[in-house]
Amino acid sequence: MTFRQFAFRNVLRSRRSYAAFFLASVFSVMVFFIYSMFIFHPQFRNEGLERLALRGMFAAELVLYVFTLFFLLYSMGAFLQARSKEFGLLMQLGMTRIQLGWLVFLETMIIGMVSIAAGMIFGFAFAKFFLMIGRELMEMDDLPLYFSWQPFVLTLFAFLSLFVLISVISVFFIRTRRITDLLRGEWQNGRTGSYSRPFAVAGVLFLVISYALAAAVKDSTVYLMTIVIPPLATVATYLFFTHTVHWLLSLYKDRKDAYWRQTRLVSIAESAVKLKESAHMFFIVTIVSTVAFLTVGTLASFMSYTGDFREHNPLGLIYLSFGSEELGETHAAYLQQELAAEGLAYELVPLTVKQQTSAEAGVAVQLLKEQEFNRIAGALGQPAADLRKGEALSIASDETLAEQMEEQDLLLEESSISLENIDPYPHAVFPAHSLGDNTLVLSDEDFLAVDEPPAGLSDNAEIFTYYAFDVPAWTETAGVGEVLTERMAEAQTEGGDINFYFENPGFSYYWFKSSFALLLLIGVLVAAVFLLAAGSFIYFKLYTGLERDRKQYALLIRLGMTQQELRKVVNRQLIPQFFLPWTVALVHSGFAFVTLQTVWDEFAASSIFLEMTVVLAGFTVLQILYFYLIRWRYLAHLQAP
Amino acid sequence: MPLLKIEDVTKVYEGKVTHRALNQLSFEVEQGEFLAVMGPSGSGKTTLLNVISTVDSLTGGYVQIGRTDPYALDKNELALFRRRELGFVFQDFGLLEMLTVEENLVLPLTLDNVPTDRMAKRVLEVAKQLSLTGILHKRPSEISGGEAQRTAIGRALIHEPSLILADEPTGNLDSKTSRDVLELLSDASRARGATIVMVTHDPVAASYCDRVLFIKDGEFFNEIYRDDRRQTFYQRVLNVLSLLGGNVNDLSAIRLP
Repeated sequence: MTFRQFAFRNVLRSRRSYAAFFLASVFSVMVFFIYSMFIFHPQFRNEGLERLALRGMFAAELVLYVFTLFFLLYSMGAFLQARSKEFGLLMQLGMTRIQLGWLVFLETMIIGMVSIAAGMIFGFAFAKFFLMIGRELMEMDDLPLYFSWQPFVLTLFAFLSLFVLISVISVFFIRTRRITDLLRGEWQNGRTGSYSRPFAVAGVLFLVISYALAAAVKDSTVYLMTIVIPPLATVATYLFFTHTVHWLLSLYKDRKDAYWRQTRLVSIAESAVKLKESAHMFFIVTIVSTVAFLTVGTLASFMSYTGDFREHNPLGLIYLSFGSEELGETHAAYLQQELAAEGLAYELVPLTVKQQTSAEAGVAVQLLKEQEFNRIAGALGQPAADLRKGEALSIASDETLAEQMEEQDLLLEESSISLENIDPYPHAVFPAHSLGDNTLVLSDEDFLAVDEPPAGLSDNAEIFTYYAFDVPAWTETAGVGEVLTERMAEAQTEGGDINFYFENPGFSYYWFKSSFALLLLIGVLVAAVFLLAAGSFIYFKLYTGLERDRKQYALLIRLGMTQQELRKVVNRQLIPQFFLPWTVALVHSGFAFVTLQTVWDEFAASSIFLEMTVVLAGFTVLQILYFYLIRWRYLAHLQAP
Repeated sequence: MPLLKIEDVTKVYEGKVTHRALNQLSFEVEQGEFLAVMGPSGSGKTTLLNVISTVDSLTGGYVQIGRTDPYALDKNELALFRRRELGFVFQDFGLLEMLTVEENLVLPLTLDNVPTDRMAKRVLEVAKQLSLTGILHKRPSEISGGEAQRTAIGRALIHEPSLILADEPTGNLDSKTSRDVLELLSDASRARGATIVMVTHDPVAASYCDRVLFIKDGEFFNEIYRDDRRQTFYQRVLNVLSLLGGNVNDLSAIRLP
């Protein structure tokens, strides 16, 4: 047996303990590779949605790389510790430190190479699937599977460098240990039950403070809080797992009536040891899970914005003409033509918009005619206005503004028309930004009476024509009016002057939706890597403790513990391991979302509660499934003769 | 009436090579008796202990402890039976690492839902008797081998089982601590009427017992009763051992794994 064979067999024979670690590495390589397939795709242009996708995926690759580095580093540290007795024995038998370093290096590289190869194979196998999803999301005509050396080389180099780095560092882990330390297998002698009460109390205190801050966050303090809360919560989590939990357990242990009862003695003492041994791991798992929840939750909450979109934008197309009537009519005709060409049913209502100044507040007020307003309201299936002389409807999108208007009478200064009874209109008709907040619907009689031009603006009271299109199949309008959209974009970038405004909510909706869906896809994959890694930490800890646990359970059975009691003990110590970090992460994310809701309120008044619940519930179901899977295997291993 | 009755017990391990570990072995142990079982390596001592402690199955024969036939019980009843009627002492102590000495002692009682104040009382009694009072709050990793074995004996005594099974209890101890542990066991048998079956390699350990049973290849070989002087009893044990025909190294007090 050569030295290389020895290293190879070591890996092959401890494959079960490497399983979860290997799986997480393979998955990370796979996701990285899939992103690379997108990034190097020959049909990807650097513009629009595709530019967004490129940037998002590049950022995701960086995050993956850094995360995988830390994940591997931590896992290798734990592996080497678990195998320290074996290393001690090898050194006792006369292996030099250089040889031992070489052995560890070889083993790590073997796992690394196999993970990279497997990750790329799976990545290539699934690439077609993800390219198809990407094509659907970006509505590209074609995004075929292609074969090129670039994604392979990028992935290979990225992860090869990573594994070389890990191997070198892990060699240093063991080289500094003495043989006796290795043989005893004690690297960090974490004494069970040791904790400091001040730290324990500080942990609780910090947690409460960060939750209170997160819950009480206001628009004005939100940016400060996003800087203050995360570090505070991280420190609090660390103290919670390293001190607070043990303090609470020792308080419980002091109550002998509760503690010395049936299986509790064994299960709680055992949980206490496991919680102590894995305190750092629990901390990492909690933070990683929180980040994963937040990533997916935030992106999912973007999706909820698209859900509210229709409510705020009931019109199919919006065209405003400020210039000559002919130009407006030409453009309107062009839009009608396009809609007809797409085979879309529509109704066009041109609205004349007049402007006056209110005598009381001195602000500009836009005015609409009742008859025209009722036509568009009717097309949208909303109630018609019924106004008499001197009455008006306010269509302010902001409720407080509408209430203010309701309380006062209004005098239109130029044409000296006074208005009483200004009622708010209960539905949104025009998107908030297309007409000002001070927009009123007047009775036909009053509207015709408005004839004086607003002060210093134009020579006519009519300032523009609002062409409102109602298109029932509003999501299909994405391509309509492209010429106008391009003209507007040109004017925006080059500062040219145009005398019209065009908006296609269907197109905007499509853009929002696809870019959020794209980001969600990228985020979910990264979060999946995070969660898989977190799961693999737990699996690994369980697996390395299996031999010891088996001996212990054999002893307990001999002392007269029944099978049911044994299951109870196993449950009681597996549940905290799986669900304690999980619960803490859930609570963290819950409070983070409260803060997020405040931020979100600022630019889209929509609730993200439902999306959050769905996201968190989904993750919880996955975790429960994972728990049952692992418990099933664990019990089988424990009871195996 | 004997407390433990073994009748024609046979244990065959099936496998690539069928191995007959116990062959129609019969003996009885009286209430309050301290019995040593000796024999060379592979003679079936540990198998015998496993068969009595009901963790292994029987191929043939009959075992009776008190009035119970443990092999007629179902799995659950069997666990409860072991918990209440049997106490165990092992060569490697078999203490739970995560529990303190005190918690290890009360373990059999907590499983059986004994009221807390009675548990606390029993712990103090047993700890005093075995001089464990000073180390009650230490963990097994912090105490010496002798203290660990005394803790294990305490755990075997605390619920006053009808039968205590000891597997090489002095195998991991030096001669001075061995003597302390054996005196504790024989004291428990004499003063408190505990019935003990101890498997051992060590003729010194055997000389503390009331009777020594020798087995060879899973069959009865010989038995001798103690007399007034431990020294002469020890000599007689050695004589039978030499008859058993094992080689001297087999019988050393230190057993290599």
